[in-house]
Amino acid sequence: MKLLNKTIRPYMIYSLAILLVTIPIFYFVFRSVLLHSVDRSLRTQLHEIRANLFSIRSESELSAWSKLDKDISLTPATGMENDSIYTVERVFYRHHRPDAEPLREISGIIEVGEKKYKLIISSSLVENEDLLGSILAVLSILVVFLIVGLLWINYKISKTVWKPFYVALNNMQQYELNKNTKLPFKDSNTDEFNELNQSIRHLYDKNYQIYLQQKEFTENASHEMQTPLAIFQSKLELLMQTSPLTELQASLIDSLENANQRLIRLNKSLVLLSKIENSQYTTTDDVNLVTITNKIIEQYSMYADQKSLSIRTEFKESVHIKANQTLIEILISNIISNAIRHNIPQGEVFIEIDNSRLIVQNTGVTNSLSPEKIFERFHKENVTDGTDGIGLGLAIAKKICDMYSFKISYRNIESKHLFEILF
Amino acid sequence: MKILVVEDEKELSESIITYLKAENYLCEVARDYKTALQKIELFDYDCILLDVSLPDGNGLGLLEELKADKKTDGVIIISAKNSIDDRIRGLNTGADDYLVKPFHLSELNARITAVIRRRRFEGNKIIVLHELTIDLAAKTILVNNKIVDLTRKEYDLLLYLAYNKNRVLSKYAIAEHLSGDEEIYNNFDFIYTHMKNLKKKLHQAGCQEYIKSVYGMGYKLEV
Repeated sequence: MKLLNKTIRPYMIYSLAILLVTIPIFYFVFRSVLLHSVDRSLRTQLHEIRANLFSIRSESELSAWSKLDKDISLTPATGMENDSIYTVERVFYRHHRPDAEPLREISGIIEVGEKKYKLIISSSLVENEDLLGSILAVLSILVVFLIVGLLWINYKISKTVWKPFYVALNNMQQYELNKNTKLPFKDSNTDEFNELNQSIRHLYDKNYQIYLQQKEFTENASHEMQTPLAIFQSKLELLMQTSPLTELQASLIDSLENANQRLIRLNKSLVLLSKIENSQYTTTDDVNLVTITNKIIEQYSMYADQKSLSIRTEFKESVHIKANQTLIEILISNIISNAIRHNIPQGEVFIEIDNSRLIVQNTGVTNSLSPEKIFERFHKENVTDGTDGIGLGLAIAKKICDMYSFKISYRNIESKHLFEILF
Repeated sequence: MKILVVEDEKELSESIITYLKAENYLCEVARDYKTALQKIELFDYDCILLDVSLPDGNGLGLLEELKADKKTDGVIIISAKNSIDDRIRGLNTGADDYLVKPFHLSELNARITAVIRRRRFEGNKIIVLHELTIDLAAKTILVNNKIVDLTRKEYDLLLYLAYNKNRVLSKYAIAEHLSGDEEIYNNFDFIYTHMKNLKKKLHQAGCQEYIKSVYGMGYKLEV
């Protein structure tokens, strides 16, 4: 749920509740006030009639008055009765309506001469009810306008008030660690938002500092390691030139160089991997997969010939992708060199490129490899085939694929290893 | 033949000098930018080995100074960084070659020899080892003035051995030299094959067996 909706919802519920509760209350209060005022007017009338009765001298005068004023009715009465006010439903003469309507009446005993009469004064409540209805209608419309207006104002204010927050949010979504972009924040007169912006800026700067340090560390570490490796390498070569050189010494030097070469390769691969992770290959080139693959096959043909491998290719005409040329070369050569290295003598390598797919299929010593673990760092499954790889080639390939959202997968089909890259 | 080694790492520069002295090169060392600048302004060298990262400056700066002075010294950059940008910048500024640390001394020596040969012996592109003659321009081998038909790899192999004659070359150095940048780890079968074929062809042409195997550790061309 959006933040704005979340804040507006309680207001809306509260307003509706108030509206629903107040309208009936208002209705009853107003009605009773109106009724009260009708009653008072009826009592006053009765009181005034009583006060003016002395002016009526004869019975005929009385009946003429009662006939002229249709609001009153006079009937002869015998006993004494208290004044009473009540509501009845009946057809009222004044409105030309056939239906019964609510009337408020007061009845009381008046005395004209010695004779007693029961006097009933009627007043229609229809006007009152109509009035009440109109007032309620106007009120309801007002309330609706009020609520809609309040909601709208609240929405508008929230939008402007929360604006810096949304800018900051958008900013963070676009944030990339390796690019020290100074994305603009919106300054606000709300203290909390200013603090938020400051905190995010601080976080960015700190992250970037750490990133730079990390990058520097990687570069420095590789450099620092390369120097002793180079010294070791050079001393070994000088040792080789000494004479006399016994077979035992030669064999020891050979083992030392083997180990050192492994260290050198390991160092190179780790540097490459961290370079990719640090996104230090940023340039994008128009890469022709077919050209690159042909070049790589040519480079490795020496090794393939050595094992008498038959390399079969099936290329659709020039497939282009947008990526870093160096990385794509590393990616494809890692896959192809694996296919050659872990192959059996007189084995096969089949390389296919169509629109957005590169397939490298090869025969091999081992049966099926684990498709989940094969791309992990330092995962070595087929240590028995005599090729002591360092276990980073496929991890590097995977890293490059991840960087460009390519999909790399491994399958074993008819005891052949198949690597597929979907570009 | 005078060579200047600009390298701040003492042990490494000593190794280089020890290896190169046996080739009768006259070697000098500069451990920092300042010393190197003084030396290249005062003397002419046949080849300068230039480390990119020096304690007081960038080796590429020295290269720029050199080119600004219109000096014709051959320059090989040795760098710990295998960065394409550095490589391109170095070669564009006028370096003759670029070698990434760690490297084999035999590889360095071969490159130095190639650079000096290119610069010094404009007309004389021939290496003669008794009855064996290597024609660098035509990329051919002659034994007793008769052409021996070698493959490209066999020629490269022989040339590498010749540049480092009387030295033991480890099979790792040979593998790296022949395969270039790409690595098929610890597969030396192809070296054995090429070596066997090369020896056979030379022997059939009437060449003495100069190429010796050194206990499975490497090879040596002895003349």
